[in-house]
Amino acid sequence: MDLEREGGRGANQLRPIDCSRNVLSRAHGSASCSHGETRVLAAVYGPKAGTKKNENPEKACIEVIWKPKSGQIGKPEKEFEMILKRTLQNICLLNVHPNTTTSIIVQVVHDDGSLLPCAIHAACAALIDAGIPLKYLAVSISCCLTESGKILLDPNKLEEQKMKAFVCLAFPSSVHSTLMERFDKTIWHKLIHSNNKGGMVEEIGKAVEVSGFINGRIPHDFPEGVYIRNVKNGNSMREKVSNLYRPVLKANGVLMFWFAGW
Amino acid sequence: MEPKPSTTPSSFTDQQVFPGDVVLDLSKMANQTIKLGGGLRQDGDVISVMKAGKLRFSKPNKYWVESSNKRYVPSAGDNVLGIVVDAKADNFLVDIKGPTLAFLPVLAFEGGTRRNIPKFEMGTLLYVRVVKANTGMNPELSCMDASGKAAEYGPLKEGFMFESSTGLSRTLLSSPTCPVLETLGKKLAFEIAVGLNGRVWVNAASPSIVVLVANTIMKTESLSPVQQKIKVESLMQRMR
Repeated sequence: MDLEREGGRGANQLRPIDCSRNVLSRAHGSASCSHGETRVLAAVYGPKAGTKKNENPEKACIEVIWKPKSGQIGKPEKEFEMILKRTLQNICLLNVHPNTTTSIIVQVVHDDGSLLPCAIHAACAALIDAGIPLKYLAVSISCCLTESGKILLDPNKLEEQKMKAFVCLAFPSSVHSTLMERFDKTIWHKLIHSNNKGGMVEEIGKAVEVSGFINGRIPHDFPEGVYIRNVKNGNSMREKVSNLYRPVLKANGVLMFWFAGW
Repeated sequence: MEPKPSTTPSSFTDQQVFPGDVVLDLSKMANQTIKLGGGLRQDGDVISVMKAGKLRFSKPNKYWVESSNKRYVPSAGDNVLGIVVDAKADNFLVDIKGPTLAFLPVLAFEGGTRRNIPKFEMGTLLYVRVVKANTGMNPELSCMDASGKAAEYGPLKEGFMFESSTGLSRTLLSSPTCPVLETLGKKLAFEIAVGLNGRVWVNAASPSIVVLVANTIMKTESLSPVQQKIKVESLMQRMR
């Protein structure tokens, strides 16, 4: 039962990713990232002196402002801000410039599904453009579970609306290293952030073997391949899904995503 | 399916590196002192990159990442252009495009005493030297050189200041003289002060020369030396 996706995309195929930096002349760092039709513009200002009231003055503070394409700012925007803030706090080195604030403003130009990964990529590129010290880059992917039980990567808006469950994951990106001999596999398993709607594990019900190897041609410095590998460790699949996806992944070992490339 | 390891050169010197890249393995280099400049940090047993840029190495043991940004990271010994933001009892608060404001002590002038403290208004442009720049502290500036002489430091009067990237400032200050300044200097008479924090000040007898010099410098930032010379010649033709 081959699912028909728009443009003849395979279940594991990503839309073309395009990224450019230094697009705004006044911002200290800026980037624009698009996943197919979804387009997000990010601007970084900072580091600037002073932190917010409740923040630790011994660390740098990250402030995210999410601007939707239209409409007033409400709870969904605040949620995106919080998600992005936690993700970016994980990748930034916060002790290099203590007692400073870095503001990241994310403007949604067009939303065609997979908005959060696009925003994470744009924010990451803008941070590099501004010269903010980072531990590593973040790469992010969203995937959804359809009615028929198929797993699709990088859903667009229509697919997102029709699906049963949805998860968005972010990982540290792979790095070039002079010590390739000791290929440190643990780096590949680290999960920075996950965000899910719907009981993904429950719905699947059994270990799903999905394997695909994609080499997308991306002009910029971002993911160039996606591996999905199934890790079974024998535990029960039917355990109740809590909101924290990481323990679920460990306990149930459904799907692990690796993002390769640089 | 294992992720395919990317081809690894034995070293990343003079190559583009990104945050997270591991450039040195300290466990293989025992009993050596390595000096790390900007953009690199020690992460346990390895040296990894914090900022994207070109990795540079200078003998015998200095590594750093060269990048061009709109903001400046203060470091001791740099000459920068600062703008006075406020005047306190002991210091002037000066903005040098860094993460925090910098302090310029009121006595850090040649022959400075409590009786002849200079009066700088808000917005005064100063050519100053960074004396101290430590993490967590506001950088300290001075209008004297290391031996206590005034040596061109101080307020810059008249002229025009524009902001650019730190990379352009380094190009303008490189030796031998960068092609833009050399070509401009052959035909025009002007005065220029370049701050390592991405600020450039130009002064000349007539405003048209100031505008020409400023625009030329801004437009030729991304060109190669040969292209720069050609562009400068063509821009100067328009002035005749």
